[in-house]
Amino acid sequence: MPKIIHYRDKCIGCGVCFEMQPELWRMSKKDGKATLLHAVVKKNIHILPLNNSFEITGREVVKACPVNIIKIQ
Amino acid sequence: MKESNIELLSPAGSFEAMQAAINAGADAIYFGVEQLNMRTRSANSFSISDLAEISRVCKKNAVKAYITLNTVMYEHDMNLLHTILEEVKKQGIDAVIAADFAVIEYCSQLKIPLHISTQANVSNIEAVQFFSRFADVVVLARELTLKQVEHISKEIKRRNIRGVSGELIKIELFVHGALCMAVSGKCYLSLHTQNASANRGACLQNCRRTYTVKDTETNEELLIDNEYIMSPKDLCTIDLVDQLIASGVNVFKIEGRSKGADYVHTVTECYREAIEAVQNNDYNSDKIKIWMDRLTKVYNRGFWEGYYLGRKLGEWTSNPGSIAEERKIYLGKSTNYYPKIKVGEFLLDSGTLKEGDTIMVVGPAIGMAKEKMETLIVNGKQAEMANKGDKITFPFPSKLTAQDKLYKIVKQ
Repeated sequence: MPKIIHYRDKCIGCGVCFEMQPELWRMSKKDGKATLLHAVVKKNIHILPLNNSFEITGREVVKACPVNIIKIQ
Repeated sequence: MKESNIELLSPAGSFEAMQAAINAGADAIYFGVEQLNMRTRSANSFSISDLAEISRVCKKNAVKAYITLNTVMYEHDMNLLHTILEEVKKQGIDAVIAADFAVIEYCSQLKIPLHISTQANVSNIEAVQFFSRFADVVVLARELTLKQVEHISKEIKRRNIRGVSGELIKIELFVHGALCMAVSGKCYLSLHTQNASANRGACLQNCRRTYTVKDTETNEELLIDNEYIMSPKDLCTIDLVDQLIASGVNVFKIEGRSKGADYVHTVTECYREAIEAVQNNDYNSDKIKIWMDRLTKVYNRGFWEGYYLGRKLGEWTSNPGSIAEERKIYLGKSTNYYPKIKVGEFLLDSGTLKEGDTIMVVGPAIGMAKEKMETLIVNGKQAEMANKGDKITFPFPSKLTAQDKLYKIVKQ
């Protein structure tokens, strides 16, 4: 199963991921950055196994992120 | 000249640049933290936890510190904004530079001094009057002419427009550095092409690239005289400093939070000297030429005097990036310092160094220092050349740590 990876440190909080795929993202009220829901966090890199039904939109989110900090592997 | 009290405000994108600005004679520095500033992508922003150290260093050196919080603000930014502002208040940062009304409102509530950012594009006296209810300083739009600036500053005095502190509203103007092809902050090129909003500090600088125009019927590509049709040259007003002061500008602002300590040091020093020269009636063309020579050695896209003399934007650069006459090459980090004899030791990680080369040391505590290597001591002995892996030593007046880096300066 592919994984979606979010390098959260570099997030500028533009909110495009949340706009495009609210099923997976929230804007943190605490620090204004995007948060990948239900992700496992390792060294501030957030990782979530990506269900097939989310993959197409997920890949659009990857392209849309202005600072290229979202990857699918 | 009667007009004294000109404040020179320099950019600090790092502790190195901040110290360089202080050493070179800045009266104040400005910086950004986290993602809520206009250089989020290009500069390694400070974080909230750095505010205490920034405040400490600036207070120690009697330099004012201003924090930029001038992006477009969204609902989800409000908590972070509040957290930052509470820390700003606690650490005694001198003022906030902002354009969004949320920041203005919070600063007002927390009684934090406020400067209106150039992002607000203040271009007339009525706007100054409006903002005087909240702020003490207004950074005017970079697109005004000096006549317009002069009118605004005269009207402030005539109408006696005072800011929150009770003093006359001060006028701040950009005097040097990169210009935007759009009215500052009103550009959506980067957003439209790559979804990266300049107004969230993520500008990808589409304007700085080459473009061809293609006729889709014939597939013929049109030639454009100047390849970089959207990339303006950099602003430089070193030859207008007397006119700027005479127009009533109170604060001279230098652009460049993405730039290095060497840039900040050189530009700050030149403008400091120019302001003093005007005040001592000693400002002349020979001096201007020398300052100009120094300014062309650090990062620049070619210079013009911006819109201040009423020129239209037509001064496009013919280069993709800097045309600086000098560049720096990284050599290595400091490995030791002998305080009794005041000698520093550096290990060369890359490159070579010859006797007679000019070196530059950059670090958070020292800012930027440049000198010529008259005698080169390599691994304890005098030598003509040092290579990778060698340890070099030379006299250096202040303590060095592993954070201090050694560069050599070469001509382009």
